[in-house]
Amino acid sequence: MTAGLNHCLTGLRVLDFTRALAGPTCARMLAEMGAEVIKVEPGPKGDMSRNASTFRNRRSLFFVQHNRGKKSLCLNLRDPRAMALVVELISQVDVVVENFRPGVIASMGLSYERLKEIKPDIILCSISALGQSGPLAQKPGYDYIAQAYSGVTSMIGDKDEAPYIPLVGLGDVSTGVHGALAVLAALRHRDQTGKGQHLDVGLLDVYYNFHEVNVHQVRASEGAIRPTRVGRHMTYLMPGGVFKGTNGYVVIMSFFHHWADLCKAMERPDLSEDARYSTDPARLERRDEVVKIIEDWLQTFPDVPSAVAHMEKFDVPVAPVLSVEETLSHPHLRARGTVRTIHDPVYDGELDVPGFPIKFSEFPEELPLQAPRVGQHNAEILSTYLGRTPEEVEQLKADGVLIEKPY
Amino acid sequence: MPSDHVLSDLRVLDLSRALAGPACTRMLAEMGAEVIKIEPAPSGELARRFSVQPNGRSLYYVQQNLGKKSVCMNLRDPRGLALVTELVPHVDVVVENFRPGVMADMGLGYDRLRELKKDIVLCSISALGQSGPLSGKPGYDYIAQAYSGVTSMIGDPNDAPYIPLVGMGDVSTGVHAALAIVSALRYRDRTGEGQHLDIALLDVYYHYHEANVHVHSASHGAIEPTRAGRHMTYACPGGVFRGKNGYLVIMSFLHHWKDLCRAMHRLDLVDDPNFSTDVARLQRRDEVIQIIEDWLQTFPDVPSAIVHLEEHQVPVAPVLSIAETVKHPHHRARGTVRTVHDPLQGAFEMPGMPLKFSGFPHDLPLQAATLGQHNEEVLTTYLGRSHDDVQRLREAGVLMEKEI
Repeated sequence: MTAGLNHCLTGLRVLDFTRALAGPTCARMLAEMGAEVIKVEPGPKGDMSRNASTFRNRRSLFFVQHNRGKKSLCLNLRDPRAMALVVELISQVDVVVENFRPGVIASMGLSYERLKEIKPDIILCSISALGQSGPLAQKPGYDYIAQAYSGVTSMIGDKDEAPYIPLVGLGDVSTGVHGALAVLAALRHRDQTGKGQHLDVGLLDVYYNFHEVNVHQVRASEGAIRPTRVGRHMTYLMPGGVFKGTNGYVVIMSFFHHWADLCKAMERPDLSEDARYSTDPARLERRDEVVKIIEDWLQTFPDVPSAVAHMEKFDVPVAPVLSVEETLSHPHLRARGTVRTIHDPVYDGELDVPGFPIKFSEFPEELPLQAPRVGQHNAEILSTYLGRTPEEVEQLKADGVLIEKPY
Repeated sequence: MPSDHVLSDLRVLDLSRALAGPACTRMLAEMGAEVIKIEPAPSGELARRFSVQPNGRSLYYVQQNLGKKSVCMNLRDPRGLALVTELVPHVDVVVENFRPGVMADMGLGYDRLRELKKDIVLCSISALGQSGPLSGKPGYDYIAQAYSGVTSMIGDPNDAPYIPLVGMGDVSTGVHAALAIVSALRYRDRTGEGQHLDIALLDVYYHYHEANVHVHSASHGAIEPTRAGRHMTYACPGGVFRGKNGYLVIMSFLHHWKDLCRAMHRLDLVDDPNFSTDVARLQRRDEVIQIIEDWLQTFPDVPSAIVHLEEHQVPVAPVLSIAETVKHPHHRARGTVRTVHDPLQGAFEMPGMPLKFSGFPHDLPLQAATLGQHNEEVLTTYLGRSHDDVQRLREAGVLMEKEI
């Protein structure tokens, strides 16, 4: 079983109270690197995401994608006996991860101070939308709420129009990865000093950290630069953005020295010498004109792939805007395992999901992880860690403290 | 001396430039690691020429290179490169983000590094990865984003997609790399084995598809995920709404729908089978948006609508501009935005360290180095060179220093 899988984090044990996306991603990243993750799910239904994207056999593929490699312990958390089991388990794990609204874990009787009493060097990682502190902390939050508060949403779309949101869970997933980084860094410190700690990772902070220039430009320009969305092209380098080709779109990033390469590709070497176009600042001042020159030229190709192939010969950084469907069969994404095919026994079939985004030379193969059924590991965990007999487990099941489902 | 924080025993040799690599090593520096950044003479790394540069000092560089030591050398001079190989045995980790293959060309491939230090961890960051047919292509953030299908999910279905004007692919890839490094170090400490890590923006962006990939796969191609404007496709309502004089994000699917109906004084919509479930609302998405946006027009402005929605526990947020985030009391209170004091630039704002540790409640007092600021320190501390040796290398143009 997963406890013995050999990878970077073999030997690490995590108690996972998370649900939905950001928290589960954190714990899954740890599981994908060999940690043993015990997911505590509230009875009777388990993690709320078990209801999202179900296609067959009541199996949620959303749950499968984000909970691979975890063990499921499903408990009726309103029963004091269930909470007592949780407390018993805490003394046997290294890390606790949760993503309730701030304050909820404490009201369950599992505050950091309480956890520390149970296990003095425990690491508690709390993931939330807006953070554990500050005036907005108590507000209900989701990915796009944090994105809006971070100013990131204000940077997507046309200037005089409503902004867009990317229909991708990037804030949640990335925050999960940030959480995993914080956990491992804190473990290193624990191993050296014996001290645990409480980690506070918020989507808002994560989104905000993505601003590579927008934030520092505000004061440094003394208010002259007011960063906002300006369509499909970068604001500090040119050209860099989305261009319209024949029957599709293409991303071209040919600022700096790449401009000369693009001019060669367009058979317009005159433009790389022309002072009106020769530098990024000059091109930024004539942004619409530069975009038009490129887009007019793109129309001379029968389609986007032929334009991309031509530009690649000149070493221009370029990419087709692939649809999700196109990514699934793309030879590069397949070769790297950027997209992977997994088999789920309950769903009873194969499906494609994103691959694990970290590639280790010592572990070139991904671990053979499965997502658990509701309460699949109740008996295993209670007997292995809490010393309960099969009869005791049976009794707790009969009393509705332990819950199991076939999906 | 390394600062006291969770990674204060760690030493990193940083050959990276621009954004993804520097974001990785900055995260390590913010957690106490000693990061020695090698910059190519004569002008240092690329980012020293990005963004606003009052006094010739790039704020872009400052933001992404807090807490690192700068060693600037002529890497085309064999004596420069020899100094780099001499440093390798003194560090735990090497980070680079050249195009795949360039490190090997420089004589610093993983096999060579392992000869220099048996348990070295080499972290290679790239746009499209170290392997696969696209690997050798030049890449930037939006190139990887386009190949990941993420760009195809932003904008209106019948119009060109948009790119977020935020370095999210690069920065997040840097964080993924930092995670990989700390994880690999845990393995090294347990087993004595180092390894080569391959982190790509493409893989990171692809990993963000929380549902798009499996939904397409499990529907056997019937569902073709694509951009669909300003609203979610698998829950409703969730997205960007037009208020009076501005925009707001409302996420009131699932049980939040009831709260929104109460806030709108439209309790009839709670039990109406046309609107009572997410599935039903998704089928009438435009109608649902219209009801909400019409109601939002009854408020004098966005903030007053938000206050009202919050009273009813509806998950809601204003679409803040960057200027608004910089002074927002929550962002200030948490250090989501922080003011840094640069010795050449004075005070300015940048994003805060996104991880908060109870053991270390304060950010470390990190500064970005001037070009080659630590040439002498690094050469005398780790490589046993004398002050005179350093002076000679300086005069020979092997070492370079500038007040930028």
